[in-house]
Amino acid sequence: MLVTQIIRLFWMLLLAALQVLMCNHVHLFGYATPMVYVAFLLIFPLNASRIGLLLWAFVMGLAVDVGSGTPGMGTAAMTLVGMLYQPLLRVMSPRDSADDLVPTYSSMGVAAHIRFVILLVTIHHAVFYLLEAFTFHHPVRLLISFLTSTAFSLVLILILGTLRRKKA
Amino acid sequence: MRELLDRLAHYAHWAVFLLLELLAGIMFFQFNHYQQSVWLTQANAVTGRVLEWEADVLTYMGLKARNAELTERNIALQIEASRLRREAVAGGADSVYVDSLWEEALHGTVLIPAQVISNSVRRDDNFLTINRGSADGVRPEMGVLSGTGIVGIVSKTSPHYAMVMSVLNTQSSISCRLRGSEYFGYLRWQGGSPLRAYIDDIPRHARFELGDVVETSGFSSVFPPGIYVGRVADIHDSADGLAYQLEVELSTDLANVRDVCIVMQEHEEELDSMTVKSHR
Repeated sequence: MLVTQIIRLFWMLLLAALQVLMCNHVHLFGYATPMVYVAFLLIFPLNASRIGLLLWAFVMGLAVDVGSGTPGMGTAAMTLVGMLYQPLLRVMSPRDSADDLVPTYSSMGVAAHIRFVILLVTIHHAVFYLLEAFTFHHPVRLLISFLTSTAFSLVLILILGTLRRKKA
Repeated sequence: MRELLDRLAHYAHWAVFLLLELLAGIMFFQFNHYQQSVWLTQANAVTGRVLEWEADVLTYMGLKARNAELTERNIALQIEASRLRREAVAGGADSVYVDSLWEEALHGTVLIPAQVISNSVRRDDNFLTINRGSADGVRPEMGVLSGTGIVGIVSKTSPHYAMVMSVLNTQSSISCRLRGSEYFGYLRWQGGSPLRAYIDDIPRHARFELGDVVETSGFSSVFPPGIYVGRVADIHDSADGLAYQLEVELSTDLANVRDVCIVMQEHEEELDSMTVKSHR
């Protein structure tokens, strides 16, 4: 049990560092900045404690917000995605899958897994950029940023997913 | 009763969810207020250390180009200073007086050197983080300069780091004037290009040209007077049509700023408390 939490902490710090030190400096075409830390949720099984998952998602968002100077935006987005994670996973995973299902290409099937990740990342980015709209008054730029960043994050997260072993 | 408790426990995650979203919302809406703690910003001890380390690594890569830039600017300024001195003396000024200007340039002002460890220019409300804090004497409302012009104003400090509200922040407003005239206005940024800001309310009868120098007015104690801000790039009508709005090309490329100085002025408190009194 403790080992599980330590592994989660490790992934959290790793993804926060990856986001703050590398991804935040990427502005592809001047618009797209990938947010890879959404992938953190993918290590949680279907039957994880809902409150525990919410708290982990909150802290993950907080760590990235503090590191990138985006007050509360990542935190709010991650908490919402953390809330929706298990219901979505339940609906989108194969009907006869185990209770401790962890979403990977092999456990869900490639197509279902890609759909699931697209949904998570899109919801996260939508909340993030909606909050940014409160402080950023260029709707067209914002929309382009949202679309390109979502695509960029998706590509990176889907590639990261292929690196995982069957039993992560 | 037991059934009721069970049912409540079943929905406990909703309460946690709402509480966490509320916390995130508070962080989001309080960010620009002075009351908000510095610990949730990039100027906290842990994040500051990490970003400083990162900035150090990145600096080594750009050191050569930056050195060349500084040397070039130094030579240009020396040539300008010697030419001005010659002209001032030729124009009848006392050479001893002209020399004393050099020494008095920084009188009453202390400059604390600092490095930018984190920076953004892509939002509407941009901030920088610098590696000097309250332990080094940095306080909110102090001005921050780079070798090429103004950078911003300190907004929050932790012991070893400080957050600086960049000129590129829609909430920033810095008192500026046209060099050689008494016309002044407030420099504001409206988002978009990091090299373009605007000054409103320059009166219709003011005489100026494209390319005129814009400098700080020194009306508040944040910046000393005469610090280079940029040049007039374009002239528009203000929204109400009663005045000019000047488009200023900023002299500092804030996307690329690395070495800065924090301006500490003696008498700062006196000047500011006078301003407050006169406003009442």
